[in-house]
Amino acid sequence: MEGRPESRYKNRVFPDGRYFHRRLDCGLLLAVEVLPARKSVSLEMRFLSGMAAEPADRLGLAFLTEQTISKGTERRSGQGLSDAFDALGALHGSWVGRESIGFRCTCLPEYVDGVLDLFQEMLRTPTFPEESCRIAVELANQELTALEDDPGELARKYSARHAYGPLLGRHPYGERDTLARIGRNDIISYWQQNICAGRLLVAAAGPVDPPRLVERLEAAFAGFGMTGTPGWTSAEGAAEAESAFTPGRWHYEKELEQQQIVICWPGVPMTHADHPVERVLLSLLGEGMSSRLFTEVREKLGLVYWVGAWHEHPRRAGMIHLGASSTPGQCARTHATLLREVDRLADDLTAGELARAQTLLIARSDTHGDITRARTSELAADLFYYERPVSIEEKNAAVASVTIEDIRRYLHEHPRDGLCVVTLGPTALADSATDAASSQAEAVSAVGAGVPPPNAVAARPASETCA
Amino acid sequence: MSEFHEQRLDNGLRVWLEFMPDVSSAAVGFLVRTGARDEPPEQAGVSHFLEHMCFKGTPKRDWRQVTVDFDEMGSTYNAFTSKEKTVYFGWVRAADLERQTELLADMMRSRLPSEEFETERKVILEEIAMSEDQLDRHLYELLHEKIYGEHPLGWPVLGHTRTVSALQRDQMAAYFEERYNPANLVLIVAGNVPPPRAWSVAQEVCGAWTARAPRPPRSRPEIRCGGVASSRLPRFKQQAVALVYPAPSAVDPDDETAEALAAILGGQNSRFFWRIVQAGIAPVASAVRVDYSDNGLMIVYGFCEPPNAERLVDALRREIGDLVERGAEGEELQRVKNRRRTSLATESEAPYYRLMQLAQDLDMFGRPRNVEERLAAVDAVSVAGLQDYLRRWPMNDEHFLVSVGPRAWPSE
Repeated sequence: MEGRPESRYKNRVFPDGRYFHRRLDCGLLLAVEVLPARKSVSLEMRFLSGMAAEPADRLGLAFLTEQTISKGTERRSGQGLSDAFDALGALHGSWVGRESIGFRCTCLPEYVDGVLDLFQEMLRTPTFPEESCRIAVELANQELTALEDDPGELARKYSARHAYGPLLGRHPYGERDTLARIGRNDIISYWQQNICAGRLLVAAAGPVDPPRLVERLEAAFAGFGMTGTPGWTSAEGAAEAESAFTPGRWHYEKELEQQQIVICWPGVPMTHADHPVERVLLSLLGEGMSSRLFTEVREKLGLVYWVGAWHEHPRRAGMIHLGASSTPGQCARTHATLLREVDRLADDLTAGELARAQTLLIARSDTHGDITRARTSELAADLFYYERPVSIEEKNAAVASVTIEDIRRYLHEHPRDGLCVVTLGPTALADSATDAASSQAEAVSAVGAGVPPPNAVAARPASETCA
Repeated sequence: MSEFHEQRLDNGLRVWLEFMPDVSSAAVGFLVRTGARDEPPEQAGVSHFLEHMCFKGTPKRDWRQVTVDFDEMGSTYNAFTSKEKTVYFGWVRAADLERQTELLADMMRSRLPSEEFETERKVILEEIAMSEDQLDRHLYELLHEKIYGEHPLGWPVLGHTRTVSALQRDQMAAYFEERYNPANLVLIVAGNVPPPRAWSVAQEVCGAWTARAPRPPRSRPEIRCGGVASSRLPRFKQQAVALVYPAPSAVDPDDETAEALAAILGGQNSRFFWRIVQAGIAPVASAVRVDYSDNGLMIVYGFCEPPNAERLVDALRREIGDLVERGAEGEELQRVKNRRRTSLATESEAPYYRLMQLAQDLDMFGRPRNVEERLAAVDAVSVAGLQDYLRRWPMNDEHFLVSVGPRAWPSE
């Protein structure tokens, strides 16, 4: 982004031929990692669209499009299309993200051409049968009910509203009132505006012949639109996310055995030079059982079974999260300990601890690279964020170059004086308990008291929020 | 092409290796042939609690050092406990095989440090509390409780709050002494590790272990085949229902036929998907076979809006009845086989996946099965075989209906 340090990843040439990268004539962007010894090929197709491309009064539309695009083509019924994928033994799936809709598939190498033919048919000639669209809306409503029984996901949904705002803080299932407005014509319109070659990223890994793949993709997607008109860009989304972040503390009441806690604050985008620093920071906090949070919150105090730290990345933004679930009596102490550990990192991080966090990230990228599907996902993410492949070696070198000073500087430049804290469960975090436990919690409470976001439903039953 | 190798140490410990020369990593694990069904009733949950305690201190390391040593290798590691086994594993770069094996072997000699016992008990109680917030766990535990009655297969792997709260360290230590010995353990390695390297490290880190007697034999459960059980849980928004039928054990020759049947009924491109989910009756309708060493269950289940529970159960029964009456079609069976072929190809690429399958095969069959053997078993399933299966394991007769959720339905 303008005014921000550029990514550390500079190497755009891969002389060993392992990576292939090209913008095709049909408009799509392709990246391939050639892995000749693998027994399977993995493909991922992402369209730059997703929930951010939904009209504000049609939330859930991206999910409904993703669900219905496979329910019939000009040649086949939905079941006929699934049967055709199965005839090739193709394991396929799809998903909806904030800024993309994705389709993935794993198959044996001899079936790649056939799989591409089926993807072409599904993406270019869907019929969106009326009945399938109606059922998809009905099922999305039922998924909203199911979400009420998934406390972890529900807490993340509420957190996203406050953290990302109304554009990037959307949930795939939308809301009941917006789902009620969506009909087949809306779905067709979304498909026409967003599903086109100019917005398509294709990643492939395995024993693939790139020239052959280029030939097949050109044939499959020639003339399949070039840009689409979603009326939104990642840069606009990022700008809105920055301004929409709302520090404060919100409690959603729900009858549960455990209280869910989600704490977040803005981090850096994937394309920022400090992204590797943030990766190492998150590893120090939550990756592995020797990480700060696991050690302090679980192993020393026994406050939780689950505790974690992670970052999420819209295309041009970043958000750091801490999360845990604990019984209500432990919640205030868990919350305070989570925040204390982030602050403490700036004071007492050791060289050994840093080296361990770096090794952990690097070694896991090596071992997990033995899974072809994992390589494809990595490559697809590279296209999404960098518009080109970034080699494992380059990413690992960036992680290895992070210093203690980098971590301290990062923490200094990203103060936690405006946090978004969401709890879901039987009782709100008591001010007195957290005040006594953590000065950090005071700052959170003070900020939160003054700035409720427009869609905040503080201290109301969680079930009311979706009504 | 991978290949299997076996060696038995003098103390009786079996070591199995799947040599995978085309990969860069290695996965190591200890299979401990004990689980929830091997526990005394008053100690329900001890296997799982013990699994946690094995991370808390060894003859060479305190808990801090255990976790530091895992993370310094960049290992992908963990452990899990089931009804019949406990597995500890780490997945590392092949160069770290020796360090990873030594660390896991050290954990198999845990000190069960008393100073960590109470803290870890709190963690387990938090884990139980977390499971109380999961509707699927309630369904799974209730059906096991009702079908297996007082048999240990009927109680939860996590144990009960009551039993975990009362468990004493001495009781756990006795259980540990009896179960964690070479007669009951298998060391498994999968990855780019030549046999001499695997044997060398196995001998070095496990060779001095003392031979002891194997685990006591298991009692065979009596399965309650018919009945109704429900639990009203007002705080959940969905109703979860299951129809449960007896099914073959993991070692039964009908093993793959049962898996194919479950895939035809539920899952991707299945009968339930097109005729129940895509009819808008429920967002989830599927089938899964639970396979124990001496018995099994076919669980047909779904999650739905509470008012749809009757409609969902009717639809599940209708589809089962249709399959029993008219049989499966050759094409739908072939589709299941095709998906399985691709799954097995992807499994064979990664040491982590192979380790998990080896743990299952060694526990159940006492030997590993390679991808080709499993593929042959899948290919041998036929439409006629499915019909025979349904005669041996009928799904149109007696079964157990289990329901949990906000409705008190059906009445028992």
